[in-house]
Amino acid sequence: MGKKTLWKPESDFFLQQILQNISVEGGNMAQPGVQMQGPEPYGAHGPRQQYFSPYSWNGGTVLAIAGEDYAVLACDARLSEYFSILSRDSPKRYKLTDMTVLGCCGFHGDVLTLTKMLDARLKNYKHEHNKTMSCKSIAAMLSTVLYYRRFFPYYTYNILAGLDEEGKGCVYSFDPIGSYEREVYRAGGSASALLQPLLDNQIGMKNMQGVQRLPVPKEKAVALVKDVFISAAERDIYTGDQIIINVITKDGIQEESFPLRRD
Amino acid sequence: MSIMSYNGAAIIAMVGKDCVAIAADRRFGVQAQTVSMDFQKIFQMGDRLFLGLPGLATDVQTVSNRMKFRLNLYELREARQVKPKTFLSMVSNLLYERRFGPYFVEPVVAGLDPKTFEPFIASCDLIGCPMIPEDFVVSGTCSEQMYGMCESLWEPNLEPDDLFETISQALLNAADRDAVSGWGAVVHVIEKDKVTTRTLKGRMD
Amino acid sequence: MAAEHFGFSGELWGNGPSPGGFYSTPGGTTTPQHGPTKHTLHPMTMGTSVLGVKFDGGVVVAADMLGSYGSLARYRNISRVMKVNNTTVLAGAGDYADYQFLKEVLDQKIIDDELLGDGHSFSPKAIFSWLTRVMYNRRTRFNPLWNQVVIGGFNNGEPFLGYVDKIGVAYEAPTIATGMGAYMAQPLLRDALEKKPNMSQSEALELLERCLKVLFYRDARSFNKFEFAIVTAAGVEILQPRSAEANWSIAHLIKGYE
Repeated sequence: MGKKTLWKPESDFFLQQILQNISVEGGNMAQPGVQMQGPEPYGAHGPRQQYFSPYSWNGGTVLAIAGEDYAVLACDARLSEYFSILSRDSPKRYKLTDMTVLGCCGFHGDVLTLTKMLDARLKNYKHEHNKTMSCKSIAAMLSTVLYYRRFFPYYTYNILAGLDEEGKGCVYSFDPIGSYEREVYRAGGSASALLQPLLDNQIGMKNMQGVQRLPVPKEKAVALVKDVFISAAERDIYTGDQIIINVITKDGIQEESFPLRRD
Repeated sequence: MSIMSYNGAAIIAMVGKDCVAIAADRRFGVQAQTVSMDFQKIFQMGDRLFLGLPGLATDVQTVSNRMKFRLNLYELREARQVKPKTFLSMVSNLLYERRFGPYFVEPVVAGLDPKTFEPFIASCDLIGCPMIPEDFVVSGTCSEQMYGMCESLWEPNLEPDDLFETISQALLNAADRDAVSGWGAVVHVIEKDKVTTRTLKGRMD
Repeated sequence: MAAEHFGFSGELWGNGPSPGGFYSTPGGTTTPQHGPTKHTLHPMTMGTSVLGVKFDGGVVVAADMLGSYGSLARYRNISRVMKVNNTTVLAGAGDYADYQFLKEVLDQKIIDDELLGDGHSFSPKAIFSWLTRVMYNRRTRFNPLWNQVVIGGFNNGEPFLGYVDKIGVAYEAPTIATGMGAYMAQPLLRDALEKKPNMSQSEALELLERCLKVLFYRDARSFNKFEFAIVTAAGVEILQPRSAEANWSIAHLIKGYE
């Protein structure tokens, strides 16, 4: 109890909240109707009774740090389902503009749909206004896009990283239904609980006495990101294989990758 | 809500160089309501032996008392101090006796061997399955956060002072991301010839 | 009366077959439906695992030819691989009716595309992308196509191998195995590819055949008759069905399940 177990729809608090709110043709979808296919009792005959769940949990972790004149967004590259690894090369970062990167994980079907839709909306914006959307505006748009599906949500955890109008690093984090906030650092996805307190400590300087909060240099941020992902891969089965680190500066987006454990 | 997180707790034990440390938060709450901030979750069971009990508060006190009772009987009969590993077996045995109606605690044992002074840490699940790792153990409502902290901060052969700093930072920062644990902490650093106990003030909100 | 104390409810075999009874269509009627949802499909005739692997200069996908009706091996000669166009093949697991529907829609789509006569055709990536949208939109309407689909292709000198399932989860990978194959064939495929990253076509075929044989031994819903679809720069080739030579001589040594 309290330990990390295999993800099941009925044990996922957030998903249960979501499913309780889904209505199909006026009627609420009954709770027992949403079950994953599980082992059937021995002796049940005929084709297996299968139930349909519109969601799955494909894991993945994203992490972003905003600095003075840069932002770092890192993610892992493992795509999982239950105890299977579907892919070892599926980075959860999506380049939206030359200045903005989105980290997006959770249910991969929704991740694909959401990122495709954002790309289309950004393209449309560019054609209509002849400029790329700012990070701040993308964040506001993403919030409305997520909230539009309030009662059948995109089951995705989003973190947006880029530079603001003054050229300062900015990070926006979202919940799956669109509530969002600008922050200095944030971890999201399957290992978020492992990473966030460490960021509080190492970047937020929480629980430290007699230290002054200096802006974190870029090199330190990147080194820290590598360290914390190695730690997360140690204990979280849905994080591993590779991390992909994007560093966003006024000169553009630099990408590097780093191997993680593959078991 | 799980009965394991009804009261809330966070406990860590760590191995250092010829020393071990065990730390716990001090909150006693009933779900979201904090009742007191000086609740004892770590119990001294010998000169260099401590038992940490996160879980349902009533079971924390029951198990600590029953373990103390069994330990007294052991020491009376054997006329010597118990080894931490033996003590772990006693805890495990007590818990497994209630296999189908368990005490809702997931204990942590930390100590030094009474003869060799070898560091020892261990944890159990609520029905007594033991685990004896070489680095650290965590138990409580914010175990994920504690794993994240310990996995990054811990390193081998920490001196007592560094071990104290490491375990304190790991516990405080982990508990700060958990709504039902925190409100100060207590840390015991156990060395061959002394036990240092410090109480910490974290963010008290 | 005493029987009731021992859990005997009057039925000879609760939840079991009814000897001498009429054959009733299984699925849906034996257990009451929950709630008002009527969209969710119950898969009927099912195909088991499909496999796919990239090789040097192409891709091969494979599936056996069994259509299972629950535990009944009902259809033993159905094709679960198809040619989409000259650069793309597809193999489907899951509900066979949904697969046939998908095949019809895809075939018509290709005909419509060819009728344009613009000299262009859908690339494997385009077919893949389209399929992800179809599957995702169906799941969003709570009316899914109950399949896992593997798409193989070869375009512009690049092999393509992708996967889409009934809820719209999609990815590309150098090896793909669905269903039971994910547990039994995927490790073999990944191992083979790690040892030899640039397999030849014949090596890839041999590998898949070995995997299908392993599945035949241990997956109760599989069958010893397979089809392969190969895509290379030369185009698409669907091989004649073939069987693997199975050896059951050690089967009697496995004890404990009698």
